[in-house]
Amino acid sequence: MISFKHVTLPNGLDVIAEVNPQAQSTALGFMVKTGARDEVPEVAGVSHFLEHMMFKGTPRRSAADVNREFDAMGASNNAFTSNEVTCYWAHVLPEFLPRALDLLADMMRPALRTEDFNMEKKVILEEIALYLDRPTHVLFEAIMADYFAGHSLGQSVLGSRESITALAQPQMRKYFDSHYGPGNMVLAVAGNVDFDQLVGLMQAAAASWQHLDIRRDYTVPRPQPRRRHIVDAKLKRHYMALMCPGPSSQDKDRHASHVLADVIGDHEGSRLYWALVEPGLADEADFSFYPLDRTGSFFAYASCDPARRDQVEEVLLAEIKKVIKDGVTEAEITRSKNKIETAGVLHGELPLGRMRSICARWTYHHEYRPLEAELAELEAVSGADIKEVLRQYPCSPVTMTTLGPE
Amino acid sequence: MCATQRKTKTAGHSATAEHQHIHRLANGLTLLADKVPNVRSAAMSFMIPAGAALDPATALGSANVLSDWILRGAGTRNSRELSDYLDGLGVQRGAGAETIFIRFGASMLGRNLAAVLPVYADIVQRPQLPESGFGPARDLAMQQLDAIEDEPAQKLSILLKSRHFPDPLGRPTVGLREHLQALTADQLRADFQTRFTPQGAILTVAGDCDFAQVTDLVEKHFGGWHNAPRHPTAEKPAPRGALHITQQTNQVQIGLAIDSVPESDAQSILIKMAVGVLSGGMGARLFSEIREKQGLCYSVHAGYQSSKEQAAILGYAGTGPDRAQRTLDSFMVEIQRLSKGVTSEEMERARIGMKSRTIMRGESPAARAGALAHDFYHYGRPRTLDELRSLIEGVELADLNRYLAANPFGPITLVTIGPNALKVPA
Repeated sequence: MISFKHVTLPNGLDVIAEVNPQAQSTALGFMVKTGARDEVPEVAGVSHFLEHMMFKGTPRRSAADVNREFDAMGASNNAFTSNEVTCYWAHVLPEFLPRALDLLADMMRPALRTEDFNMEKKVILEEIALYLDRPTHVLFEAIMADYFAGHSLGQSVLGSRESITALAQPQMRKYFDSHYGPGNMVLAVAGNVDFDQLVGLMQAAAASWQHLDIRRDYTVPRPQPRRRHIVDAKLKRHYMALMCPGPSSQDKDRHASHVLADVIGDHEGSRLYWALVEPGLADEADFSFYPLDRTGSFFAYASCDPARRDQVEEVLLAEIKKVIKDGVTEAEITRSKNKIETAGVLHGELPLGRMRSICARWTYHHEYRPLEAELAELEAVSGADIKEVLRQYPCSPVTMTTLGPE
Repeated sequence: MCATQRKTKTAGHSATAEHQHIHRLANGLTLLADKVPNVRSAAMSFMIPAGAALDPATALGSANVLSDWILRGAGTRNSRELSDYLDGLGVQRGAGAETIFIRFGASMLGRNLAAVLPVYADIVQRPQLPESGFGPARDLAMQQLDAIEDEPAQKLSILLKSRHFPDPLGRPTVGLREHLQALTADQLRADFQTRFTPQGAILTVAGDCDFAQVTDLVEKHFGGWHNAPRHPTAEKPAPRGALHITQQTNQVQIGLAIDSVPESDAQSILIKMAVGVLSGGMGARLFSEIREKQGLCYSVHAGYQSSKEQAAILGYAGTGPDRAQRTLDSFMVEIQRLSKGVTSEEMERARIGMKSRTIMRGESPAARAGALAHDFYHYGRPRTLDELRSLIEGVELADLNRYLAANPFGPITLVTIGPNALKVPA
């Protein structure tokens, strides 16, 4: 029997768990509600750099200790940083949960030693270089900067060579001290777990964590119609991206938006697939819903031969316009819902997938839904709901950013 | 012919052999099934030995084009009907050409398995291969060649494979531009007729499935499939040595390959353990020495890869041009240092990592289907979790260190992409 448990510790840290005694493993993670959008431009990239530094040791552990301890549990573990959240997770066999929690919780109060900071800076600069060799990433960062121009959501998660080179350890310490309060994070666990034991361990580990009053800046982005082409003569392909406003993570229309986006641009069987990929005009074309904290957008992407760029762009825009004008069919809605349901079940059968789901839901909605309830929300999406999304968000204004050899 | 393996159930992790089922059809197709408790999904992996190794020497890339074209209509359904039908069942799917196999993968709700399997029977036995779909399928394959040029890391792995392994094992599955340009629909249709065969094909189903139902379905829809097997062309030796491609990249791409023993060799567990010490986690040697202590790379790792006949340890690092030589040299130091032996702590970390991954993989139907097919291909039978566990637990430090001392790794095949060539280590 799967059950949900939740307590809030006195310092504000939420501990949530979806307990499944039949699971063979346990996934746990801290999700901190901070990311690139919470940075001032002078420290661009600090959230992500900090994520790396959290693995560099604590007052009672060296960096090598942290790495060795994860390996000694046979853990599968990692972390990621987005525009809005930073998440640290581990997937372990149930017997290692206490040790994994001890380690992850300790990491949440890092040493941030200057010598480690200087060494890791080199790694971050290499990570930036790695992504500069990936045109899809270059394009994604460019369109985010264009669409959210003047808003912190347009800031690069990695930061730039310049911002990272200039960043000093005290700036990171200050950012940590003002964003990693227990009330700004959640510990989520899914799988085979003894919840009372977990809470006891977490309480002891977080006894000294001070509550902080942290508020995110919710200035509303004001996207304008924009168009930019970036030339990189080295490239062989032409890449295009489009963004336009959509519902937010909290909006009741988010499920309908997800279904709609799949009808338009799932990687298989969608409108864009039949119009662009199946006839061989573009090797990739997709349209997706990109919800964020109290704002949101739709995102389209295609890549093609440079000689076909005008034709592909024309078809892409025509397909989107056709949907806005004529809507989508019931058969298309049903197919999309079925595909999303399968994805939900696949994701939901693994502790790591469930941990991520409940963690994100808690961070954005402060609520829990079992997998069946999540799937029911999707099932309830109707043609009328989709019409309403199209009425409210008719793909305007459009930001279009392209990248190619000429 | 039907043999369900029986074994005493052990407490705790319940993925023992009683969940597994193997059934060989008279035509040579093998069905493997694995029932996973408490899941609603089912994963299918269908591998047909029709991969790039069978491409005619003058038509490299045929398998790649075929793996797209073959989905453009089958049986009575045209391309769109086929896609809509599978979408209507919520099937997540993929298809692609590998060296040995063309592989079809699909994940779905278990209740849809009976509706999905006949579609794949149509695809492999009765594809429409319409004239109208050939041009786009070939065009997309050529676009893929350009896309690889824009992704240096991907380009590196293709170049390394063809440098290190003999043809046809090392050939790029994506094909060659001039061959693709010359390829015709008639030629590929004729190729298909003698390429897809049940002999050596492996159909694996894992997750929410019923053995009797799956067996009946497979007998009914695949039992009448007959085609004589065709064999790959004779081997041409691998070029080996070092290759540098000058390209203005932000990072130098470094790829290296070293011969190893194939999966089915009893020593392969030792190699995997050694590779675990080298690159099994963040505490392993490559990450710790090259990234953590020297800050040279973001990405540095090594892995073991095996086909039936040949195996290699493949290494990768990406780093700035000014640090590339130091990175390569440090990488070589770590590879050579393995022959001096590993510590007991290092081996225990590698061991628990292998054990955890094996158990945790058991929770995912797709991963289980993959593991089952892998075992069948290499060992001719599925291996149980208990068997894998005792194999991993049975490795002794003294045996590992003796093996490493007696079999130093080398020589290396090296491929680099970047602004400047590197000095090749002795």
